[in-house]
Amino acid sequence: MTIGPVDVDWIVDNLDRIGGLVVEHLYLTGIAMGIGLVISAGLALLIRDRPRWYGPIIGFTGTLYAIPSLALFALLTPLTGIGTVLTAEIALVSYTLLILTRNMVEGLRAVPAEAIEAAKGMGYTATQRLVRVELPLALPIILAGVRIAAVTTIGLVTVTALIGLGGLGYLIVTIGTQRGSFGLTATLTGVVLAVGLAAIADLALLALQRALTPWSRGRAAT
Amino acid sequence: MIEFLGEVAAWFADPATWSGRDGIPVRLWEHLWISGVSLAAAVAIGLPLGLAIGHTGRGARAVVAIANIGRAVPSLGLMGLAFILLLPFGLGVGPLPTIIALTALGIPPIVVNAYVGLREVDRELVEAARGMGMRAGEILGRVEIPIALPVILAGVRTSAVQIVATATLAAAIGGGTLGQIIYIGFNVGDQVRIFGAALVVAALSIGTEIAFGALQRAATSPGLRDRPYVPTEPAQVGRSGGEIGMP
Amino acid sequence: MRTHRTFVLGAALLALVVSACSPGEDESPDASTGADGSQAADLPTLTVGSAGFWESAVVAEIYAQALEDAGFTVERQLEQGARDVTHPALVDGQIDLMPEYIGGYLAVTYGGEPTPDIDESLAALREALEADGLVAFEPTPGTDADGFAVRQETAEELELETMSDLAEVADQLTWGVAQECAENPNCGLGLERVYGIDFASLDVETLGACSTAIAEALNANNIGVAQVCTTQPEIAGFNLVLLEDDLGLAPAQNIVPVVRSEIVDESGDLLESTLNAVSALLTTEELTNLGAAVILNGESYEDAAAQWLADNGL
Repeated sequence: MTIGPVDVDWIVDNLDRIGGLVVEHLYLTGIAMGIGLVISAGLALLIRDRPRWYGPIIGFTGTLYAIPSLALFALLTPLTGIGTVLTAEIALVSYTLLILTRNMVEGLRAVPAEAIEAAKGMGYTATQRLVRVELPLALPIILAGVRIAAVTTIGLVTVTALIGLGGLGYLIVTIGTQRGSFGLTATLTGVVLAVGLAAIADLALLALQRALTPWSRGRAAT
Repeated sequence: MIEFLGEVAAWFADPATWSGRDGIPVRLWEHLWISGVSLAAAVAIGLPLGLAIGHTGRGARAVVAIANIGRAVPSLGLMGLAFILLLPFGLGVGPLPTIIALTALGIPPIVVNAYVGLREVDRELVEAARGMGMRAGEILGRVEIPIALPVILAGVRTSAVQIVATATLAAAIGGGTLGQIIYIGFNVGDQVRIFGAALVVAALSIGTEIAFGALQRAATSPGLRDRPYVPTEPAQVGRSGGEIGMP
Repeated sequence: MRTHRTFVLGAALLALVVSACSPGEDESPDASTGADGSQAADLPTLTVGSAGFWESAVVAEIYAQALEDAGFTVERQLEQGARDVTHPALVDGQIDLMPEYIGGYLAVTYGGEPTPDIDESLAALREALEADGLVAFEPTPGTDADGFAVRQETAEELELETMSDLAEVADQLTWGVAQECAENPNCGLGLERVYGIDFASLDVETLGACSTAIAEALNANNIGVAQVCTTQPEIAGFNLVLLEDDLGLAPAQNIVPVVRSEIVDESGDLLESTLNAVSALLTTEELTNLGAAVILNGESYEDAAAQWLADNGL
């Protein structure tokens, strides 16, 4: 049965495979985001009180960001192997660093000085201040960065198919373009799923942001 | 590692690397002209659109939608779709699907930045200009655009870097470019070639970023140069602010 | 110092995440077990792998199902990519059995020089495989080689029947070939060596080898000649003309099941006899029909394999 150009039968027959590819895609995305968050958090905390480091670090991560994904995979290959998960992940993590680090720093810097002073006045330790005052106030900007990083990463994972890993890129390119016109269904399915995953991630994080920062619901969050 | 870098150097020194259909010069030129055409098309389509929306202030939602879609749709997907759709018409092979996909990819940053740039122009200046009797076109050309220029050019720059970077993927649909050398390298397992070609691609991308950055600064009117440097991002647009674009 | 503490925390988290997420080769979504729990007598569990294209996958699936019917427990890791992935996987034991093509395997992986003579090529391949602890059983009668096809009109207009005919008009046409054709002894290099075609000077576009896309591009007049696989269903589907390899460029490309010798020792004769019985029935026509089922009809490898086994009384 076809709906327009889409061969629904094919999708149904290959549901297993498609599901597996979605799982693989999420797996690769999740690792990158997880590690990216940890490293960015470390970098952000390092930079925020050292304004002179901001430029170089943002510059470095920004340069990494400018390198096309396929090329970055290629540059890592001699070190970490052709088409290995490690190669892909190092690159994927690198791409999250610019956005996450920058938004984390901006977020922390945007915390009103009065709030920090008040916290100091109340006798909070630095860690307590960070966790109870600064982070919550910085959250909207930080989460905005996380959302962008997540959506970006989901898109980038599709490229890993070119170096032999799975994910939705496999559906889009390897299956899709090989099958010529018959592959339209596969490619469309891959694209729709990728956009869908990105949309879900975006909305889920938005919901998380709203849940964690109830005071900001009144005005449009950034 | 040192040994490997030696092999890479040898690859660069080898005349075979610089000759033939899959040599660096041919593929580099292909990469450049395809990127150039796509960028020109993206500007031709995106700039008027963004300026129109920015000047009238209407259609902000459309801009947000464009921004979000532009970020979420994977570039490989666009290329794959363009390839498949053009195949039965005998146009699937060659640069056309790549150019179409890259143009589509390049439009969002230009539209969004043109919009945001114009919106950021001080309303009082616009009112003053109107009060002086300037017509809409004049206001746009002599007041709004010059002031918004840094942001607009930042958008062009983002678009350019994105296009040049993504053009690398064209190899997956037989579109060539420098990515072809990397792609073949992966297929035959030649790590030296993979690395060497990647260096060229990286240099090209970073070079594009730097070149357009210089262009952006050069084209910014001196009166505006004292403003804090605007990085390659539009300001907050609706809910999802921040960087557009990905390789 | 608070940054010191944060760093330690961050590093610990990082270590935790990295160690928890080791590259999971055994988490391939394609792995599936056959009869689980008790293994039949002392038959080992096999992992069947395949290369990243339909024919390799469907033949592997056929082997897998036949072995399951014979009592083996079989896991699958299909569509693993090209030889640079599948060969090491076979040697290392991540997969135990793979269908391979005599000529291609010998030339690409072992740097050998296969000929159209099947016995010669197979003997050479077996010798090379022995060093890696691998065994090749009996070959299929069917072959799948790289070939070149043109449209009907082109064949009539330029009077093309064989590759030699094509060689005379080679520079008049746009060629659609695989990305690495220029360096492939069975493709670009072979065209020069055997047919005297100056490959470097041809008008060439690159597409996925043996794909529907390349056949469609040919059909739509985007290219004039397409590198195809001889069992591609699209050849018949689009009424294309496969040019005869009159000077014998293509090496013997029959399929053989390649198995790790350890597994052979553990399995006794059952493994060999089962696989040989299957192979014997895989003619070129059968392979092409399987292609039609999987590519043109969009059937899954599982279904197509099951159907074929049923049709052939296995």
